[in-house]
Amino acid sequence: MTETVLALVPVWGVWLVGLTTFLSCLALPVPASLIMLAAGGFAAVGDMALPAVAAAAAAGAVAGDHAGFALGRVGGPRLMAWLERRPRRARLVGRAVAELHARGGLAVYLSRWLFSPLGPWVNFAAGATGFPWRRFALPEALGEVTWVAIYVGLGWVFAGNLEAAADLAGSVLGLLAAGAVTLGLGLWLRLLLRQGRQRSRRSA
Amino acid sequence: MTALARLWRNHRLALLAFLAAAALTLFFAVRLIVSTVYWMQPEQQDRAPEGWMTPGYVARSWDVPRDALRDALALPETAGHPPTLAEIARGRDQPLPEFLDEVAAALAGLAAEK
Repeated sequence: MTETVLALVPVWGVWLVGLTTFLSCLALPVPASLIMLAAGGFAAVGDMALPAVAAAAAAGAVAGDHAGFALGRVGGPRLMAWLERRPRRARLVGRAVAELHARGGLAVYLSRWLFSPLGPWVNFAAGATGFPWRRFALPEALGEVTWVAIYVGLGWVFAGNLEAAADLAGSVLGLLAAGAVTLGLGLWLRLLLRQGRQRSRRSA
Repeated sequence: MTALARLWRNHRLALLAFLAAAALTLFFAVRLIVSTVYWMQPEQQDRAPEGWMTPGYVARSWDVPRDALRDALALPETAGHPPTLAEIARGRDQPLPEFLDEVAAALAGLAAEK
């Protein structure tokens, strides 16, 4: 399946790139990251134009995010209830709502690229829970630019070796995501310790 | 009482979550180093040609000049999008595996000439 899709990249060009990033932002199972890596590689060898690849990928992703946001706005609680009918989806939606509530724009930004499995669900949740559009749009666009830059950039750098690019992209993003969670938990532990110390001082 | 002991007694779950996340970070760091070393080996850099690749892509992979590969395979100039190796084979009425063997041989020859 992968090779069939990859064979379409030079043939359909930037249209395929934009279409897949659009669909992936609506939670449809398309290999958007792999296609961006491949397109970056084809751009590096002169088979595609880098600015066009990057622009198409970003435009598709931004359009997909706003489509998801709009769907959430229109569907509201009914859409959320429907999404939560499957346990796996319900978990993702639940996390998306919680993250959005706790971190707002930062959750929108990070769910574009670092915790990207949450991305589409954050879009729906933001729309459905009345998250303001103007607080959504900027971190959303910055996040998608980051996402596109990482994948198209790695594809460009590792042109001619897509397996290496995909493998290293997985490791780099896994490392960043796990590192971010570790850092967050570490800061929380520090806070807990400090609160504990204050409490024991007060009771002393 | 040390900070660690206090966390263990009062916030065991949070501490365990932190340790698990730290272990996962370490895992990805090691994996990144291992795969970087792996992909840097010269024999891992020349990828076998496949149908979805373009002549430019395999030329880059094998670090040979694109035009030299074009000449070696007698590829015609094409208008429109860059053809994949599968499309070129179709255009020549040649089975893909046979054409890929030819491409691999041409790449090996050009790489040896360097």
